[in-house]
Amino acid sequence: MIIRWVSEDGKRKWIYPVKKDIYTKGKIIKQISTKAKVIGITKVNIPSPMHPITPYNVILLEDGYGNRMPKKTMKEYKINDVYEIKPAKTDSAVIIAKIKYDIYEYLKHSLKLLHNYNISSKDKILIKPSIIEPAYSYQAVATNSELLDALITYLRENNVRDIIVAEQAMLGNDTIESAAKSGILDVCKKHEIPFVDLSKSEYVEKTSDNFSFRIAKEVLERKLINMPVMKTNSQIVVSGAMENMLRVVDENTQKKMFEQDIEETLPKLIKILPNFLSIGDATIGMQANGPTLLGEPAFLNMLFLSKDPVALDSVFIEAGIFAKPNYIKEAALMGLGDSDTNNIEIIGDELEAIKYPLKAAEKNATAHTKIKLIDGKANPYIYNTALKMSAKLVGLLGQEINLVIGSLITKDMLQEKTRLVAYGKEAIEKLKPLGIKPVAEIPEEMDDIEKIMLLKSILQNPDKESITVIDKLKSKIASFGTKIKNKF
Amino acid sequence: MHYIKGVGMTKFGIHAETTQELCYEAIMEALDDANMPLSEIDEIIIAKGDSQNDGERQRLFQGVLSSILQDENIPIIQIVAACCGGGVALWNAINSQAKNCLVVGVEKLTPSPTKYITDDLMMASERIYEQTEGLSFPAQNALIAQQYMMKYKANSDDLALVSLKNHENAFGNPKARFYKKKVTLDMIKNSPVVASPLRLFDCSLSIDGAAAAIVSKEETDIEIIGSSLYTDRLPAFESQDMTSWDGTTLAAKTAYKQAGITPNDVDFVEVHDAFTSVELMAYEDLGFAKKGEGKELIRKGITKINGALPVNTSGGLKAKGHPVSATGVSQIYEIVKQMRGQAEKRQLDKTRIGLAHNVGGVGSTVTVHILKHIGG
Repeated sequence: MIIRWVSEDGKRKWIYPVKKDIYTKGKIIKQISTKAKVIGITKVNIPSPMHPITPYNVILLEDGYGNRMPKKTMKEYKINDVYEIKPAKTDSAVIIAKIKYDIYEYLKHSLKLLHNYNISSKDKILIKPSIIEPAYSYQAVATNSELLDALITYLRENNVRDIIVAEQAMLGNDTIESAAKSGILDVCKKHEIPFVDLSKSEYVEKTSDNFSFRIAKEVLERKLINMPVMKTNSQIVVSGAMENMLRVVDENTQKKMFEQDIEETLPKLIKILPNFLSIGDATIGMQANGPTLLGEPAFLNMLFLSKDPVALDSVFIEAGIFAKPNYIKEAALMGLGDSDTNNIEIIGDELEAIKYPLKAAEKNATAHTKIKLIDGKANPYIYNTALKMSAKLVGLLGQEINLVIGSLITKDMLQEKTRLVAYGKEAIEKLKPLGIKPVAEIPEEMDDIEKIMLLKSILQNPDKESITVIDKLKSKIASFGTKIKNKF
Repeated sequence: MHYIKGVGMTKFGIHAETTQELCYEAIMEALDDANMPLSEIDEIIIAKGDSQNDGERQRLFQGVLSSILQDENIPIIQIVAACCGGGVALWNAINSQAKNCLVVGVEKLTPSPTKYITDDLMMASERIYEQTEGLSFPAQNALIAQQYMMKYKANSDDLALVSLKNHENAFGNPKARFYKKKVTLDMIKNSPVVASPLRLFDCSLSIDGAAAAIVSKEETDIEIIGSSLYTDRLPAFESQDMTSWDGTTLAAKTAYKQAGITPNDVDFVEVHDAFTSVELMAYEDLGFAKKGEGKELIRKGITKINGALPVNTSGGLKAKGHPVSATGVSQIYEIVKQMRGQAEKRQLDKTRIGLAHNVGGVGSTVTVHILKHIGG
């Protein structure tokens, strides 16, 4: 698609979405074309970090208005060939779109390329963005509010009246606060659409492969549009279309899903949910130590759309040059979708042409360089609060601590690791049968300030082999003191 | 009226010295050439990119330069204009109030692997339309070269002749990267394709170096009779005619008008041959050939060192080397050396009027400077 922003008198064209003609102050009209002719070709043999796979071709396109645009491709074109993106023919097709400054137009065009996907004015839509913690849109933690705005605008243009936006934050975070900071609440207000906090929903019990899920009622009653942020994830490699569905179940189900290995239970959840469309938000996208604020914006300027969440995630994983995680393999084995990118129909930009190594998430990273995680796939509450605790201690010197979390801890994971601190019931219980005595055990129900004071004490006392009654007393006093101080 | 008082430059090549040390060397030579002390300099304009790949991780380079020059009283301004940095710095010097303005261009490009330099240079193209579509600098120029070749029936042999000419010239330039390095037409034609139709020997050299020139209001033997700067849209694909850069045609037209001359009056030229195809286009945009006929100049040997209009006697960006921001100033160095009869084995006979053409991006920032040898 080639877009130009043209002055109403037709005298000037911009490649940027200007709102008014700076010379005449007149209106701007969009000139859009989806068909172009190839007028130039170069085969490029030198790699660069953004374009590591060579050779690749760049073709120069020109549309009927004489507007031009370069396009990277691995295919061989000839001068005068017609370049046009044809709609998908399969349900597992993944639409890849590199956005050129206009999220709305690229979203609209991509939706039209989907196979057998129709929007009716009678549809009751539930949009499920990703809002895990309080963060601004540009931080790529939450779905880009501009993308949400574009989708709602499109739905409204198709006369869809009954729309809700529904999500719950990562356990341990406040949903409304998170939705407000991301700008998503403002978009809902603008379109007069209710925002539903799924943590307060009525839940319906459903069983899939001997696992019982308590699923928010709205999710089962409405046509679901999933809008994950495409991110790296230190627990499961990538958070995308499948992982974003985790937060449609209640807190206990989420915890249980992690206890029994999220990589096995997540596909079971997807199996029991009604079919849904996923719009993978890579308008910014995240790399490095995601999925929380420890990650970095990746500035991808892309959209990934598919009715098959397994295919969508598989394509993104391959685009970012990551190893395929187990939950994707498991989902494919269960027949939930296609994970073989050789079989998946790719529409729009080519997968080979967008491959670019994103920074992977480190499995043990926290905000504090001396506090490492040994993560046995801890549930989101433990994972989240472990990261928060370590963040509170940034700036303090100390000796390395290995914070053990989650139930899927093995002896191998602990080999040659010293100064272990077990955090949360699952880790505490797991270490006992392994015959490992940590420096300290921090139960999750302990007061937050007390937890931090204990961790601080271990961090700053390199010779400490175990937590004493005095340490515990000190942390209680500190916690009490802080509470009194906050009160007054 | 502005004059060139002195010029200096390091050898263009691989340098272990820091950027500031390269500047120091070029400045020292320029001061010696002008026979004046640093204390008589009223202003310094330094052209330097904002690279993260020079191995130095240094911003606020004005301060670094001030530290090495040991004079805190000279105002220093930094210009960032990609490959046109030197030309833009010179243009600013001519438009400044300073009596003596020192212009310096510097860059270090060799410390990082090629792929990072490719990426760094690509940042001078449009982020969303070009960078994300793999339009590295050679790729951008390859698409333009192809348009030119299709439109005007030019061919790869024409490009090879440009390359050969510039390598022959660099052979005699002690400051050039390819000094005394023999390059044959076979080597050029058989070099690997970087971005079709451009081969390795069609591309300029990313290299280290610095160049300096002292622009003065005091009369000297070298007068700047034309100086113009034009900016155009960043992506070349936006131009109506991709085979002609408006920035160059407008800058040339203005500079000729200021100088009161026509292209026929120019004796020799340093053009911005970032790619051999750019040199062919520049022949036309600077008015030395009609559109589409630039190839005839190289085919007939007109732009060779012994031709009627010698182009890039220094070896150009192709064979002298292209330390991005230093290039524009190094062109002035060559013109001054030619005018003063100091060009050794590559010395020309006719050097009364010389023209320097410096380009940033694919025609988006262009300067044209015309120098006259008074009494020459």
